[in-house]
Amino acid sequence: MTEPQVRVMIVDDHPMWRDAVARDLTEAGFEVTATASDAAQALRLVAAARPDVVVLDLGLPDASGVEVTQGILQARPDARVLILSASGEQQDVLDAVKAGAAGYLLKSAARAEFLDAVRRTAAGDAVFTPGLAGLVLGEFRRLAAGQQPDGPAEPQLTEREAEILRMVATGLSYKQIAERLVLSHRTVQNHVQNTLTKLHLHNRVELVRYAIEHGLDSDTPAP
Amino acid sequence: MGLQAQLWRGIAAFRFASLAYAAVLLVVDRANYDRLVLAWAVLAGMTGWTVATSYAYAVPARRTRALLTADVAVTAAALLSTLAVQRPGEGSAMPVTATWAAGPVLAWAVAYGRRAGMAAAIVLGLCDIARHRPLSSAYHASALNGPILLLLAGWVVGYVSRLAVQAEQAVQQAAQVEAASRERERIARGIHDSVLQVLALVHRRGIEAGGEAAEIGRLAGEQETALRTLIAAGSVAPLAPGELDLCRLLSQESSAGVSVVTPAGPVRLGRAAAQETALAVRAALDNVRQHCGPGAKAWVLVEDEGDQVTVTIRDDGPGIPAGRLAAAAADGRLGVSQAIRGRIRDLGGAADISSGPGTGTEIVLRVPRLLDIPSPRPTT
Repeated sequence: MTEPQVRVMIVDDHPMWRDAVARDLTEAGFEVTATASDAAQALRLVAAARPDVVVLDLGLPDASGVEVTQGILQARPDARVLILSASGEQQDVLDAVKAGAAGYLLKSAARAEFLDAVRRTAAGDAVFTPGLAGLVLGEFRRLAAGQQPDGPAEPQLTEREAEILRMVATGLSYKQIAERLVLSHRTVQNHVQNTLTKLHLHNRVELVRYAIEHGLDSDTPAP
Repeated sequence: MGLQAQLWRGIAAFRFASLAYAAVLLVVDRANYDRLVLAWAVLAGMTGWTVATSYAYAVPARRTRALLTADVAVTAAALLSTLAVQRPGEGSAMPVTATWAAGPVLAWAVAYGRRAGMAAAIVLGLCDIARHRPLSSAYHASALNGPILLLLAGWVVGYVSRLAVQAEQAVQQAAQVEAASRERERIARGIHDSVLQVLALVHRRGIEAGGEAAEIGRLAGEQETALRTLIAAGSVAPLAPGELDLCRLLSQESSAGVSVVTPAGPVRLGRAAAQETALAVRAALDNVRQHCGPGAKAWVLVEDEGDQVTVTIRDDGPGIPAGRLAAAAADGRLGVSQAIRGRIRDLGGAADISSGPGTGTEIVLRVPRLLDIPSPRPTT
């Protein structure tokens, strides 16, 4: 492999998966800079390991996917978190993605599919499975349904974004979508990426709003 | 033992209250008494006994049969002392104990049930009749009121007390069952996750290895999908009666070739509408299996749009040649078109079937909320 080495960190409490994933990545030319078996270890190692991509299993024994994702992104904002889950618990996946994860893949995905996902995550693309597209569509619908007439504006999907997400959710590849809509592959990717960016932004706004409402910002030193 | 303890506290309160009532009566009716001092002495004894029994009955271990028997004996003695202190011929007046005499009846009823309560009521009732002089004067309807009320009190309080005990046991049992099943669920979640991890690994490695291992991998993959579906079905929010979660219903269709894509939460739909929609989806998937071969993949997307629910079924098969559906309908071979369109139309919705060579077939079912058909059509 002649591509510039992508640094990957693997967080999974199942040793056999950790080893299998590490081997696959190394063979494919990635640099596995650290492996961790729980959230505490992951958060300890992440700064030193300086990963570009963190492959994260959702079912860690000591913390939720949201906590680990947030912790990793705080310690290393440049890292991109790719969720790799065996159970695909929908709410867990959605929460982790809202907390900033860049993509999600089931563990049953084939090796080539997985390696491609890591490559795309490193390149800054959102990795969507049909399942994740369905979750994100549902989340935007939920936000729209909860919109208060006088409340702050909830994020919305453009018609194009909803159309593309619906196509991803019914199993069409970016290439097929590009052909159908007569768009470039890149444009399709950007639309998908945008939907995640909106969710991440909304999540951050919500956290700040929550902090202000509950007076959590008052312990910052006054100027 | 919350309810029982409260009943005992209630008895203690009743005794103190009726003690005060007896004292008031003694002041008001003092003209009826020959030996007023002795009557006050009886009342002092009753006070002592009330304090003693209230203290003793407060702890379950002290509620012995001996104490309860003594309670009846002391109360009977106080009741009969009326003979010694009251002027004869005042039989229709209240005895010196007044309503205080009901205490042991309540105690026996709470402790041993309605039969015991009634037995205590009979003993004290007989004593109440016996205090009449001449005895024949007891043959007044009003004189019998006391014993009858005692009997009723024994029966009712005994019955309620048993009921309370049984209810409490049932609640406790239910709580134990729930705690056990929650614990089992917690353990199962851990095991399920481990099994899923192994199945996913076998699936992946097997397919990569090829040959016979690929078959094993494929089998593991099937079980993996089945287990994941089971776990997803296990965690659902409670629904209103008459509603079903369409996601849960449709997740049964997921398999190695079929991905069911849903929002994170439940998609509620009236029972009949949900079942009809699920049958339409099944008909569509059967059609995919029949026409696109075993290797075909299909996706089922469920969307909750508030006033309507949209289900999209897409396959990656060769697609339906233009006009074939219409031709089949015209020929009277209604098959898929009828099974799907008819069902959805009956729900007040619409089904769009679109297809093109190379893009597979896409069926979009739109089912309005609110409208629900009370009785589903017989399945074909």
